[in-house]
Amino acid sequence: MSSEKEHRVSRRQFLTYTLTGVGGFMAAGIALPLTRFALDPALEGGDEQEMVAVASVDELTEEPQRFDYSFEQEDAWHTSEVTQTAWLYLDGDEVVALSPVCTHLGCTVDWDSNEDFPNQFFCPCHGGRFEKDGVNVAGTPPTRPLDVYEMEVRDGTVYLGRPISRD
Amino acid sequence: MKWTMQDIDTYLQAKEYVDTAVIPLIPIDLKEDVKQKVSMGTFISTMADAIERQFKGRVLLFPAFTYIKNQPLEKRKSELIDWDRHVYEQGFKHVVYLTADGDWKQVEDELPDMLVWLPALPFENMEDRYLKQMIDQQMKQIIPLLTNKWQSEPKQRP
Ligand code: FES
Repeated sequence: MSSEKEHRVSRRQFLTYTLTGVGGFMAAGIALPLTRFALDPALEGGDEQEMVAVASVDELTEEPQRFDYSFEQEDAWHTSEVTQTAWLYLDGDEVVALSPVCTHLGCTVDWDSNEDFPNQFFCPCHGGRFEKDGVNVAGTPPTRPLDVYEMEVRDGTVYLGRPISRD
Repeated sequence: MKWTMQDIDTYLQAKEYVDTAVIPLIPIDLKEDVKQKVSMGTFISTMADAIERQFKGRVLLFPAFTYIKNQPLEKRKSELIDWDRHVYEQGFKHVVYLTADGDWKQVEDELPDMLVWLPALPFENMEDRYLKQMIDQQMKQIIPLLTNKWQSEPKQRP
């Protein structure tokens, strides 16, 4: 089937091939992170984000308090220091750890900061609001609750992992 | 949001929510006080990142407006006004110019929108924990500047 003719590469074709080549290369560059991303869940089992000690249970109250903590994060290229914030409070004996990232477009929410909306998390950007347990208030822009952190309490210390989204 | 591919997608889909542009103003100078200029630039970028993190959903942080320090102030002022007009016409009703360069204070009244001037703090050798505290303290001043600005009418451009 394949004849000489088909194999002969004209200048224009060569150019096309070369361009495809470059395009292909670029596409590979773009595909790479996507592949990594796609593989990620599979890798997760052996490679969980480490749990970081954030607070001692003694410090916690029924009132949400803000804790900032940092840890080292490694990606393919470098290790960087990441700072994260969590709102922690006690619900009976249970520790609740909420992410401060507004689920609308990502501003940082604050607890009880707006006079008109006491005992709620308030987002200064577009007035998004969340109840104490992180559930979004209907009629404000966010459409899902604040994320909760993966959490563990060991020997009176609260350890946090990655934020998990709830619907 | 930042001037990155990922964030710009969010911006394009949620334009109506993103009405504030933050433009860092950073001088370049290799002749005099080079290190001081570098330090100033680092400081402003760090603060710009902190502002972006706090107000990610409403603010678009632009790449820095960078200029030669000894270039006449009038010239850079008019260039900055061009930037302002461009972003304003594209829907950014609030524009914040963020700088540590005192020159801009001289022309503050001639700028179309809000100049936030911060005295550059040298934090080259600061330990992380102090650095964090310092950023937090600065943010305590900056956050109300923005939230108050949002309460008031956008400045009209001539
Ligand atoms: S980002 Fe919080 S309400 Fe829009």
